[in-house]
Amino acid sequence: MTNALDREAVPDSRNPLGFDGIEFIEFATSHPQALGGVLEAMGFRPIARHRSREVELYRQGAMNIVVNAQPADLPRTAQPVERPVISAFAVRVRDADLAFRRALDLGAWGIPVRARAMELNIPAIHGVGESLVYFVDRHDKFSIYDVDFNTIPTVDPHPPALCGLHFFGLVQYVGTDRTADWVAFYSQIFGFTALPNKVRFGIMPKGLLLQSPCRNFFLQLIEPDETARFAPMEEHLQRIGLGTPDVMAAVADLERRGVEFLATEQVHSSERGALTKPLLGSVMFELVKSPAEEPAPQR
Amino acid sequence: MNYSDIGMDTASLAGSLESKLAAVRGAGFAQVMISASDVVGHPGGTAAGVRVVRDSGLTITGLEALRDFEGLSGQLHAYKVDVAKSMLEICGQIGGRLLLVEASTSTHADTGLDAIARDLSKLAVMAIPLGIRIAYKGLSWSRTARDFRTAGDLVYRANCPNLGLAIDVFDVLAAGVPQDDLDAIDPQQIFIVQLSDYMWQEARSTEEQVATATHFRVFPGEGAHSEALAQFVTRLDAYGYYGDYSFDVYNDDYLQMPPETVAERALRAAEWLGETVLRRALPVPNMERLLGPAGP
Repeated sequence: MTNALDREAVPDSRNPLGFDGIEFIEFATSHPQALGGVLEAMGFRPIARHRSREVELYRQGAMNIVVNAQPADLPRTAQPVERPVISAFAVRVRDADLAFRRALDLGAWGIPVRARAMELNIPAIHGVGESLVYFVDRHDKFSIYDVDFNTIPTVDPHPPALCGLHFFGLVQYVGTDRTADWVAFYSQIFGFTALPNKVRFGIMPKGLLLQSPCRNFFLQLIEPDETARFAPMEEHLQRIGLGTPDVMAAVADLERRGVEFLATEQVHSSERGALTKPLLGSVMFELVKSPAEEPAPQR
Repeated sequence: MNYSDIGMDTASLAGSLESKLAAVRGAGFAQVMISASDVVGHPGGTAAGVRVVRDSGLTITGLEALRDFEGLSGQLHAYKVDVAKSMLEICGQIGGRLLLVEASTSTHADTGLDAIARDLSKLAVMAIPLGIRIAYKGLSWSRTARDFRTAGDLVYRANCPNLGLAIDVFDVLAAGVPQDDLDAIDPQQIFIVQLSDYMWQEARSTEEQVATATHFRVFPGEGAHSEALAQFVTRLDAYGYYGDYSFDVYNDDYLQMPPETVAERALRAAEWLGETVLRRALPVPNMERLLGPAGP
């Protein structure tokens, strides 16, 4: 017998990259202080500053948010303007170099190395619109931020999360009839799988949900309304979804800190989820009910 | 003119990019297929060429043509990936949503189905972030896909939603591909249909087909195979193809004529196609995108 598996189609590993959640999410803005104020209201704390770039790190529990005000030096990347945009997210993988090279083989566009001397070279590919997707490995062995960032003195580098908040997902706006394209992109390069239509989290049910191979992170792809079908294609990462075991407790906690939530007939806070009012033009956070551990799809 | 889904190719016309686009627009066409060389060859540079296309007011059918991409390995493959990226970027810049890819004629190409499908899938994934669709076209003198049916098999095998087919009616008229082969193709897989005819009855040898295809094409209704062409288009229409038609007419004589004169001939072809072949009532319902059924 030459190959024990040659009589049946045995599928590849569900998680070929060793995908293990999100290391950080990055915003680009030319007004980092204003965004910092919003992030602090949401419970994040400034932790560190980049050694050579105008970049700050905010943290809460296991979540890292990078605020980038450095003018973009690459085509097709987000140029910081006043209105903050989600400009990148970093996925944790078993072997960043392997994941990066595999992505290039499958058709991803890599970006050239930008690290200066003694800085980490974090490989990245172009994602939706002007965004990037980074690959980070060994996140459990050492902190990538120790290399490139100076810690802000006297602050607690590990501020606890409010109400168990953690990264739950990202909402991506896609063009008309483009959902299938992006499903192919995320499934081929990262191993995401599309969830059946009846599986829904939170209070914003539109679009299609993709689940990460580690099952803990979701992408929600949303096409324009019928009336906007003929508008020029606008695609970008729209908002961050934060998971919490108790949405109403988190809403109460955040409201005490000055965060306002949408309270309309269609969209209002409930046990399932909540949505903050947009700030600074378009910055919104969505709260989603989820167990702190591995969230099981609600069927 | 109401044939907004029928367009010309800049490759059919002589002159500067500006005069080509003006001729296309002046004849009354709403869309145009752009040859990459017209953009990058603009005397003011690529950026100026891109601006001219964007300011033309015409809908961009797509950009043509990436050639000899699939089946290569090592350095050759890496080189072609760079070429493809450059063309995808230009396509995106001019507002095009489709890149035409012709099946490889390279003697270096590996003709194994898996290798070709892998490369086509890679190309399609490369095009996703830019919102571009890849239309793969068989060529009767290709080593990887000689006709639309083989190309369709490869597209099916590569299995990427933004990868589909460009069908050139020349396959049917000159290379003798049976019209029944259409039955093997899912109409959703057809991204563009290219139409042209030629003046003589047959192009027997491969050499003759290559020469005819690259120098002696004429507009639909002008050539010797109007009936077969009309049959094919009628069949596509009945079959549920609602995409664009473009005239891929490569003709050395037309390159020695004023572009306005050639564009007028193209207009007559569009009218023949719309009124005589497709028998469209005015206004054309095809101008609006068909919406899918309501509900989940």
